[in-house]
Amino acid sequence: MKHYDKVTPDGTRDLLFDECVSREEVVSRLTAMFRSRGYRQVITPAIEFYDVFGSSAAHFPQENMYKLSDTRGRLMVVRPDCTIPIARLVATRLTGMPMPLRLYYCENVYRVEHTMRGKPSEIYQAGVELIGSNSLRSDLEIVELAASGLSDINGESFRIELCHIGYFKALIDSLDAGADTKEAIRQCIEQKNYPALSDLLAPFGDSRAAAALGYLPRLFGGEEVFGKAYELFSENGALECLDYLHGLYEDLRQLGLEDRVIIDLGLVNQAEYYTGLIFRGYFDGIGEPVLSGGRYDNLLGEFGAPLSATGFAVNIDPAAQVVGEPAPQTPDILVFSDERHLPEAVNYIKSLTENGLVAENCVYDDFDAAADYARRRGIRQLHVVDDAIEAVDVETLRGEGAR
Amino acid sequence: MIKPIRIALTKGRLEKDTVEMFERLGYDCTAVREKGRRLILPVAGTNLEIVLAKAADVATYVDNGVCDIGVVGKDTIMEMGGTFYEVADLGFGKCRFALALPQGVDFYEGYHTRRIASKYVNVARGFFERKNMDVSIVKIEGSVELAPILGLSDAIVDIVETGTTLRENGLVVAEYICDVSARLIVNIASLKLRKAEIEPLIARIEDYLAGEETE
Repeated sequence: MKHYDKVTPDGTRDLLFDECVSREEVVSRLTAMFRSRGYRQVITPAIEFYDVFGSSAAHFPQENMYKLSDTRGRLMVVRPDCTIPIARLVATRLTGMPMPLRLYYCENVYRVEHTMRGKPSEIYQAGVELIGSNSLRSDLEIVELAASGLSDINGESFRIELCHIGYFKALIDSLDAGADTKEAIRQCIEQKNYPALSDLLAPFGDSRAAAALGYLPRLFGGEEVFGKAYELFSENGALECLDYLHGLYEDLRQLGLEDRVIIDLGLVNQAEYYTGLIFRGYFDGIGEPVLSGGRYDNLLGEFGAPLSATGFAVNIDPAAQVVGEPAPQTPDILVFSDERHLPEAVNYIKSLTENGLVAENCVYDDFDAAADYARRRGIRQLHVVDDAIEAVDVETLRGEGAR
Repeated sequence: MIKPIRIALTKGRLEKDTVEMFERLGYDCTAVREKGRRLILPVAGTNLEIVLAKAADVATYVDNGVCDIGVVGKDTIMEMGGTFYEVADLGFGKCRFALALPQGVDFYEGYHTRRIASKYVNVARGFFERKNMDVSIVKIEGSVELAPILGLSDAIVDIVETGTTLRENGLVVAEYICDVSARLIVNIASLKLRKAEIEPLIARIEDYLAGEETE
């Protein structure tokens, strides 16, 4: 007995017509730009061995992955992310290529979400990876590329948020605390949970690191953040990280992005995964980040090819909400013929489409049915192919009755 | 017109305290006090709008970004999870999560798998996972105290304010799990994109809370 033959699984949906057009519009703008900067597309399988994601358990807990097994009983996952499979691909097949590698992808990723919280479990992403370079040049390239991508989709109405995870790492490494406490502190900073954070830091008295950690969730905003951050803590590598981030900020300012860029030194969500710059992108009116990325210099090493890397991914569907309603997809002309003129009708359709028109073949046998269909479908012109071609304005047919 | 800042308030228990706090901060909450059946209410003279919702829905609305700010109990946050900033402990709506069971029973005696009744199944599961203890959890929607009395469960995990309900039903607290109180939560994108509007509001609330403490 079938129970689920008429519904889609939780967190998934059918996309129809203009939803597909909006999505395609965002993807084509992004991928055109990626290609114009020398990025080349890769496609990895939708299913991977569990082991590919096994070392990243902290970011992809097993309960959030869709799993299946292959014919030999080996555990597989439906990919929850594109970057890790690309790291696998690069480490195993591309280490002999000239570096850096510029790769882009456009794929669905799958994450098991709580049901009925409004979050999709099938997420369509387009993104880039710049692999084999660990320099300001590559960080600037990738952040500017992210900004250009967001701007191509939504004009001026976007923000890019930057963080250097090194600042947080300098602070937390300066704190004499156990791993569990450090993780609890990181979580409180991630959630900007000021009260719980100050409770956690209370035992460390007035050490500079503790004071700075306590202030970290508030270190977001414009350029003024740097002054405050330098003042709070500059030891143990913090100074170098701030200098680096400030330099990048200056470059972005020269690119005219000053009003678009915000700094948040409390962006510590994946502190173990990212090794340097972290960034996220927002659109006005969209309540979640539409872009996220950063530098991950340790990941490829886990696959045996210690290469630096940075990149970002755009969540296409929230981004697609901001590209205006696309034009309705209504054909210009419906082409009708009797059975004796079918080949002529096909040829006529081809000649219309060669001229850039959208022409639909009529499958009805009689003219009235054809006219009725055209009216309901909103097609304005009905062309009748006989020994000659007669163009009929569908509107004027209204009320005329049968012909 | 500029989009209003939407604040989701938990209806019922926390509503009165929250409205009182906003009024002491100088916001005109007349519309909320005289709400009738309306669920979205303006705060006169400001760009704020108050949305009244059930606790779990407050978290959902803020997580999804349709409300910018929310006031919700820590109990709901712990049970539901979600991605948002939790910027202030508002100090009211105080109670505790506790494991409670019939008086005179030793919860840890014997080796049978305990059955636990709770409205907060995730909190209960987390609590026993930290103890490396396998239990069977039953979700109860209403008065959880009934479950051990009726013989459905060995114990309950619930929020306890004064303990009166427990006592009157012959139950005692075996262990406190953690403290709970009302929290101010903020949508992640809103805090970043509308910092100039939201940060001063948070600062005012923090000042108010600091003043309360010293009183």
